[in-house]
Amino acid sequence: MTATTPSTGRDWSDTVLNAYLALFYAYLFLPLMLMVAAAFNASPTPSVTDWQGFTLDWFRRLPQDQRFVQGLVHSLIIAGGVIVIALPLGLSGALVLTRLQSRATTSLYTILVSPILTPGIVLGVTTMIFWRDSFGVEAGLFTAAVAQASFIASYCMLMFMARLQRQDRALEEAALDLGASPVLVFRRITMPFLMPTMITASFIAFLQSIENYNTTFFAIGSSWTLVTEIGSRMRFGLSPTVNAIGVLFVALTVVAAVVWVLARRRELARSGDG
Amino acid sequence: MNELVRTYGRGLTSVFVLLTAAWVLGLIVVPQLRMIERAFIVDQRGDEAALVATEIERAYARVFAIDQDLLRAADGAAAPPAPSPFTPSPTAPSPFAPSPSAGGSAGGSGDPGRIAGLEAEKAEARARIVELEAREAEIQAADRTTYALGNFTGMSRIHAWIFVSTLFYALCVTVLSFLACYPVAYAVATARRGERVALLMLGLVIPYAINELLRIFSWVMILEKQGILNGVLDALGLIDMAAGEGVRFVASNGAVFVVMVYAYILFMVFPIYNTIETLDRNQIEAARDLGASAWRIHWRVVLPHAKPGIAVGAVMTFMLSAGSIAAPEIVGRGLHPDWFSQVIYRRFFESSNWNQGSAYALVLLVACVVFVLVVMKLFRVGIRDIAK
Repeated sequence: MTATTPSTGRDWSDTVLNAYLALFYAYLFLPLMLMVAAAFNASPTPSVTDWQGFTLDWFRRLPQDQRFVQGLVHSLIIAGGVIVIALPLGLSGALVLTRLQSRATTSLYTILVSPILTPGIVLGVTTMIFWRDSFGVEAGLFTAAVAQASFIASYCMLMFMARLQRQDRALEEAALDLGASPVLVFRRITMPFLMPTMITASFIAFLQSIENYNTTFFAIGSSWTLVTEIGSRMRFGLSPTVNAIGVLFVALTVVAAVVWVLARRRELARSGDG
Repeated sequence: MNELVRTYGRGLTSVFVLLTAAWVLGLIVVPQLRMIERAFIVDQRGDEAALVATEIERAYARVFAIDQDLLRAADGAAAPPAPSPFTPSPTAPSPFAPSPSAGGSAGGSGDPGRIAGLEAEKAEARARIVELEAREAEIQAADRTTYALGNFTGMSRIHAWIFVSTLFYALCVTVLSFLACYPVAYAVATARRGERVALLMLGLVIPYAINELLRIFSWVMILEKQGILNGVLDALGLIDMAAGEGVRFVASNGAVFVVMVYAYILFMVFPIYNTIETLDRNQIEAARDLGASAWRIHWRVVLPHAKPGIAVGAVMTFMLSAGSIAAPEIVGRGLHPDWFSQVIYRRFFESSNWNQGSAYALVLLVACVVFVLVVMKLFRVGIRDIAK
């Protein structure tokens, strides 16, 4: 009898927890599902309660919308720039931090991760001011890329650091002892070891860049990206074309997330076997 | 440093060090210093120049008005105008028709006193313009920028209030997110079956990865006057939308708050999940076997272990909501009391007062830094635990 009492207590608390989980996930997904549904509604204001028939019109209009298309091009240019800037910076920072045995490490670390903890609009503001005051460069695609890179590089650095901490240094030592040049060691041992992180970091940097709004909004001046254009459309009222873009985003995200979770499970399973 | 050189040689090491230095200086420290510098530059010239410019504008407008009056007076003074095709219908009193008094005083000079008065006034206005323009040139020439606290002390009462309420709302978002997320993070981290974990994770990753703007947008759709919530109320017969009834939920601080919780809640889930996942489950089992209640297990075992995660979640959620410009801009449509991020935006792009904008941005930054420090102190975690 004494053994069953706690277990019924646990059953009860499990039920409560499961009910709460269901509620939480409904809270997460219901608005998004409504947004997706409204993209297929013929009603000119995005709605699901006022259903005026199924349509794909809002999707057909997307490629004709010059500002959206141009914004997407800008977004891709910026994302490319961010990867080019942030990856080398993040890698260098990670290498310096993991190999630097100095009291300054903590200060340097604090400075290098500070952009993550800084509000996005402050990053946009500082970049905009710096480039205009120091070099006379007006805000535009370039400053947007630099502003984004300042914090995306920190994320890349953390990813590289996590990987470097698992590195077996003996391999590098052995290669050096056998007379390999440092450049060769870096190219043949360190780089291949970091390759998976390079790919993940590029991917994350790309996503972060494309999605960024707050920093870009300040740093981009009179130009625009896909996301800032969506933002400025929303301020002037809602349109189902935004829903259509939303559906595309959601579809891409779902695919990427499923791939990610499956890959993670496989990795977990492998580490469990080993 | 020695180890770096030993492994990668002088050449590569200097490349890494240079890149890191470029990042620290060019992307982080110097831009910050530039902003801080601007925050303390008080441009007295700016205010005065703007004042003079408006006065010049006003003087020109005055001259133009006098010219118009003069024309009219001259017309009135001339002999009754010849009937022109543009003359309005005879019944309507034409503004150009001679006034009885002007007509009576016979042709030629009309109302010489009035015209002379206008001419004098015009000359005076002209002189004032010359004077003002000289003053403007003088202001432009003189460098009157000084380092002072004016940009901070000059913050209006309204802006200060917006700042305080923004921080208050951000704090509420943070606390509410924690309360909502802790059970979820715990449930996902302690789920046993693989499929269940994968599914639950997927359910968190998908909304997390969907663009912030779209998450905001989905809620604006719900809260709009013609939106889904009002549609539901209509269907329930509580309001009649056809008659134009409906609650305008958007454009209030409450709406911004609701949307922000939705937009940033998941930044709390993942850090807490990551820490709880590393907790040895035997500890929970042991506590349970020893008869600890569920509350006690959480309070004494799980929560202490999750501290670093909670700290990260709190910092991220607070920083994102305090600094968010997307949510207040889109939900508020400029109709609700401003968010502090919007005040900063307006300083830069509407009143183009970059110095004060910098000061405000600095105030926001300091508030966030203070928050990070307080959280680190409260949860007794270091910077390395925070940024992982």
